[in-house]
Amino acid sequence: MTPALPAETREPSLAIDLSGIVKHYRMGEEDIPALRGVDLEVPVGTFLAVRGPSGSGKSTLLNICGLIDAADRGRYLLAGENVAGLDEEARTMIRRRAIGFVFQSYNLVPVMSVRDNIEYPLLLLGQSVDERRARVDEILGQVGLSGMADRRPDQLSGGQRQRVAIARALVKSPTLVIADEPTANLDTTTASQVIDLMRALGHRHNATFLIATHDDRMTAHCDAVHSITDGVLQ
Amino acid sequence: MNVQFAALRLAWRNILRNRRRSLVTILIATVGCLSILVASGFALYTYDMVRESSAGEFGHITVAGKDYFTRDEETPLQYGISDHRELTAALLKEASVKRILPRVSLSGLVSNGDKSVIFLGIGADVPGEAEVRGDILKLEAGSLTGKPGDPPAVLLGVDLAKSLNAKPGTGLTLLATTTSGGINAVDVMVAGIVSTGWREVDKRLVYTDVGTAQHLLVSDRVSTLSVYLDSTDATPAALERLAMADPAHAYQPWWVQAFFYHSVRGLYDRVFGLLGLIIGMLVFFSVVNTLAMAVVERTREIGTMRAMGAMPGEIVAQFLREGALIGAVGALLGTLLAAGIVLASPHTGLQMPPPPGRSVGYPLLVIATLPLYLITNTGIISLCAAAAWFASRKAAKKPIVEALAHV
Repeated sequence: MTPALPAETREPSLAIDLSGIVKHYRMGEEDIPALRGVDLEVPVGTFLAVRGPSGSGKSTLLNICGLIDAADRGRYLLAGENVAGLDEEARTMIRRRAIGFVFQSYNLVPVMSVRDNIEYPLLLLGQSVDERRARVDEILGQVGLSGMADRRPDQLSGGQRQRVAIARALVKSPTLVIADEPTANLDTTTASQVIDLMRALGHRHNATFLIATHDDRMTAHCDAVHSITDGVLQ
Repeated sequence: MNVQFAALRLAWRNILRNRRRSLVTILIATVGCLSILVASGFALYTYDMVRESSAGEFGHITVAGKDYFTRDEETPLQYGISDHRELTAALLKEASVKRILPRVSLSGLVSNGDKSVIFLGIGADVPGEAEVRGDILKLEAGSLTGKPGDPPAVLLGVDLAKSLNAKPGTGLTLLATTTSGGINAVDVMVAGIVSTGWREVDKRLVYTDVGTAQHLLVSDRVSTLSVYLDSTDATPAALERLAMADPAHAYQPWWVQAFFYHSVRGLYDRVFGLLGLIIGMLVFFSVVNTLAMAVVERTREIGTMRAMGAMPGEIVAQFLREGALIGAVGALLGTLLAAGIVLASPHTGLQMPPPPGRSVGYPLLVIATLPLYLITNTGIISLCAAAAWFASRKAAKKPIVEALAHV
């Protein structure tokens, strides 16, 4: 079910507009604050890095922005749509059409071919066979894997797998791509290639990238870099 | 490639991830399906055999005097049919009626001069009886009818013949109470020795022709008319038509008297029902076990799919397809093996031991019916799909962040 979202648009040019985001986790009896009133505005098409030590809250921030977790308090406008307080079903439908994910460990489905992995988000969107084929062929060309459509993930190198993951994230032309340490498992050369590819495709698809990273090579390519410490965004 | 085919192909690939584990699960589904089909096929054959045997023994419909089935006769043939020839002619007009056999029930003493033994007799069209009863009236020695010019002929049950030391050609005397309460006797000659397979019956059984029985009882009535139809399945409809057309007589279908049929059916329904339940549980828990392991192994993958926008129901549906595919492959293999057993069973010569009270066994045959195969296959597939739902329902709703962090 596609939720009917109010057109609460304060700044249409913002992909992400967070205000006063608070998130706590309970560990037994203890209440641990993960985000303490985060405010963040990210214009559409921005390549934004969030860096911070382990446990600083950057993954929590990405999870909330990616709608795989919900804030306890605060306002979240995704491309002008108020997505705070939505139920799981509504968040799922937004993720389905508007958010792509790139994971540190690629998270490709091992029994699916490269083509099937990239096609999966389009299947969820109910696109026709011809639409899916055209979109997958196009993005395979953009990530330089045209000849590898029928290979399985275990027949690819780490860099090639991350290219497949990037293609899978971008194939539906999402508003937002959440990338969690996308170069952490890659060697220097491959990491540079992946960063360049993400930037190029981000511009081409007008997608906003929100990247959690420790990698200075990555931050050097970003439009903006924010640091987060103890749940407070700098 | 359409969405359904893509989903099925993915399900098949997921099944092949751990081939050994999936193979064992498919084999369990195969053996489960095979066991149910073979056991049920044997039970259905037994039901059919006992049903036809019962219908052959009593007739598909028994016609008698109005009170014959509800009251005990104080004298022989008290509630018998006096106009049986006219009634037979009327009954034969019913399209599904194939044959009508008159029967006279009698009892008394049979004597060889040295020894007298109680008998339970039937006056009937003996060749006709042998034809409709088939294996349950088996001629062991002699012939079914006497020779012209000889005294009236009788057939003796095999154990009664032993008791009287009688053989074909032996002269005997039948004594019975007449319809008026007197005693009458008839000299008869043994034409043949028969076996019904029931020891208690064979100890007392005397068959003679209708005329001799009527002569002994001093009556022109018959006890019942046994109506044989084209098929046993035609009984309910024919019974309704005949009974409505003739309110002067009582009509009773074969199943009212077929106590053995009901007891066999009751016993087998319980035994094979319990067997089916146990097999179903084994298949269910085997598939639950297999898919529960698969769910744990694929938790992060489930989280990834959920992050990309898959609903929990779509994740469960994927596992349902895997469970149903396991069930379908198992059911297909089980069906093929069961069909092989069905085809081979008439050639094995295997015999079941005699049931309680009987002296002869019966062939171990397995039959196949379309409803049985459809129900069993659907049941196995549904069971496996239900097991998949059971195994995956919680994981599909697990928080995505937790699922993605699963190691």
